Amino acid sequence: MRRFTALFGLALSLQSSLVAAVVEPKPETEPTPEPTAPPAPAPAAARSRVLPTAAAVVPGLVLHGSGQLALGENTTAKNLILMEGAGLGLFLTGGLTVVFTGASRYFVAPAATFAIAGFGLFSTSYLVDIYGSAATDQGAVPSHLRAVARWETEVGYRRIQDPEFAYRDFLVERVSRQLGPLRLNPSGWFSLRGDTARYRLESQYRLLGNIDEPRPRDVSFLDVTLGFVHQRHSPEHFTKSSAELSLDARYDLARLGPTLRGAFVELGAGYAIGRIDYNLQGLTVPHDIEHLLLGRVGFGVALRGQSAPGSDVLVYYDHRHDDYVAGLKLTGIPSGIAGHFGLLARWFFSESVGVALDAQAGSAYLAGASLLFRAPSRPAPHEAAP
Amino acid sequence: MRHRHGFATFAFVALSCLRPTEERVERDLAVGQAEQAGVSVNVQDGLAVVRSLTPDELVLWGSAPGFELSLSGPSARDLNIEVQNCLPDADLRVKSGDAQLSAADSTDVPTRKRWQLHVGSGVVRLALSAPGAAGTQPFRFALLSDIQEAIIRVADIYDLLNAQPDVSFVLGAGDLTSHGTRDQLERFQAELLRLKIPYFATLGNHELGTHPDLFHDYFGRGNFHFRFHGVAFTLLDDGSASLDPTVYDWLDGWLTEARRDVHIVAMHIPPIDPIGVRNGSWASRDEAAKLLARLAEGRVDLTLYGHIHSYYSFTNAGITAFISGGGGAIPERFDHIGRHFMVFDVDAKKGVTAQSVVRVDPGD
Repeated sequence: MRRFTALFGLALSLQSSLVAAVVEPKPETEPTPEPTAPPAPAPAAARSRVLPTAAAVVPGLVLHGSGQLALGENTTAKNLILMEGAGLGLFLTGGLTVVFTGASRYFVAPAATFAIAGFGLFSTSYLVDIYGSAATDQGAVPSHLRAVARWETEVGYRRIQDPEFAYRDFLVERVSRQLGPLRLNPSGWFSLRGDTARYRLESQYRLLGNIDEPRPRDVSFLDVTLGFVHQRHSPEHFTKSSAELSLDARYDLARLGPTLRGAFVELGAGYAIGRIDYNLQGLTVPHDIEHLLLGRVGFGVALRGQSAPGSDVLVYYDHRHDDYVAGLKLTGIPSGIAGHFGLLARWFFSESVGVALDAQAGSAYLAGASLLFRAPSRPAPHEAAP
Repeated sequence: MRHRHGFATFAFVALSCLRPTEERVERDLAVGQAEQAGVSVNVQDGLAVVRSLTPDELVLWGSAPGFELSLSGPSARDLNIEVQNCLPDADLRVKSGDAQLSAADSTDVPTRKRWQLHVGSGVVRLALSAPGAAGTQPFRFALLSDIQEAIIRVADIYDLLNAQPDVSFVLGAGDLTSHGTRDQLERFQAELLRLKIPYFATLGNHELGTHPDLFHDYFGRGNFHFRFHGVAFTLLDDGSASLDPTVYDWLDGWLTEARRDVHIVAMHIPPIDPIGVRNGSWASRDEAAKLLARLAEGRVDLTLYGHIHSYYSFTNAGITAFISGGGGAIPERFDHIGRHFMVFDVDAKKGVTAQSVVRVDPGD
């Protein structure tokens, strides 16, 4: 019941579910594992994972949670089925509202947000079932979780293939600094040809979730993000500047069942307003104002094995159309509506050094890698004890 | 895990493509060219589709008020020429070559005209134009887009268009059909018989539903440029929420040619949706800005769009813009517009002097 409440909250309001999850104490008599206490998945892990994984993949296409049912994790399966249903419900509610209102200006923003969130919950419930059915090392997850670094820097290379623009090669730099609940992320993307650059200043304020605990047992959070972007395209004679505000959340899926430990879902929604300035010699051209619905859903997994804590991989959908990768171009009717998909993997070799792999597909293809440097985390109390 | 992530990456990369319009651009280049039994036809700039070519007959579908074509064959022959979707007062004349042309029996359809051509061997150049089309007299044209499934009740729109005084032609900014099937394109063509003026259209995303290759066979190029009474018109195929890189090269030439003239550009999807959170616009906002900068640099006077089933008046890059998707497809609710089309008054010396919205269902 406790997990059902959390899932219901996730579907309707991630914030409220997070509040409930963080504030409400767990009854000691609750038979399901505490999210703050790593479960012992040994009995499930001892069983063969072939059948559950196959069940998660094939019948799981229709009934998300089939893998968990095959594994005997009935409560987890029920939660995933509910998650699938909530996702489908949100997607249909949003999608049908868009269709039947003719994408009315008065309804399209909330309807599209519902559709994106629904797509995220629906697809994640499928992926996480496969994960929970195939993975056997969930017990190693707690030792591979880590608080956000007090500071982190990134320098890397990205290759962008976009037939509409001549740029290809980019130097990417980012600095991240945690100041209490506030995180500042200035970053820059610089075309090596010098024809375009993108500067972004992002600040995130953590409303809910861990900041200080060096070895968190739950990676859920809720952030409010304020961002400013400036982008110039010299050969095409325009610059863009925008401001954006969004709510971004991560939900630790261990809350739905012990076999899902190490997986998480991300949801974000917001709004951006931008200004396009045209820089044409000898012409005075009025600027344009553009508006943007922000929406992001992702499914991630904390990496284990040889990786240092804080390593993870995330596949995501990002609805934004104003960056280098923008929206999917398709051959049929729906071209241009959807945003882009991406994969971001962060692998730390040690407490301080790691790499990030970045791949995105939208109106352009992007691939690249970065070197990551971060401040070592403070040792957890039990690690610091002599 | 690595395999699953690899598959996911492959799946979404395969889902998208960077140049979805590339094949359509190639089809653009083939429009207006045909060869049959030693007779070859080449319509300049692809401004008409060769619907039929036999040793005795040539049938063309016009995409513009006027165009030139060349015919060549090994021997003298008589050829019946029919031009469909042409101005009611359009006339065909011989520009060069060994040929005699005479008017044939008229059809019952004002936009279909026939001629009989006796042509010798060698190359013959013909030109279709309406009287005064090369001048700069003011004229009117209409804009009608996004008919889609409402083709079943488009007749009353055509009747209202026929009742508009002095409208020379209708410009279509795409989505003539709901899925671009052969049956739907045939139906659209059949309904056009009711319209007394030609309908020059580019395609929309709904023409790409099942048979993206058929539009060109019926109605010609997606990207083309023509002149009428001294005013330049450019229609672009952005049905995939983007322009093909090759089209930018064509556009540069058209913009340069018409830089000092009144220039009207139409396409289906607006590069920037005035209601940006809806994103009824291009896939990439950066590419949208790139196009608008070019249109502004080319001193375009008017941009016309469809795709959004409502009416919007705004500016982009300082250029007057209208979205008019009032052909009857599922309307944007609560906008109090309903089915409609627009009428523009244009003067080659003064620009666009007036525009109006004609509502088909005033009670909506």
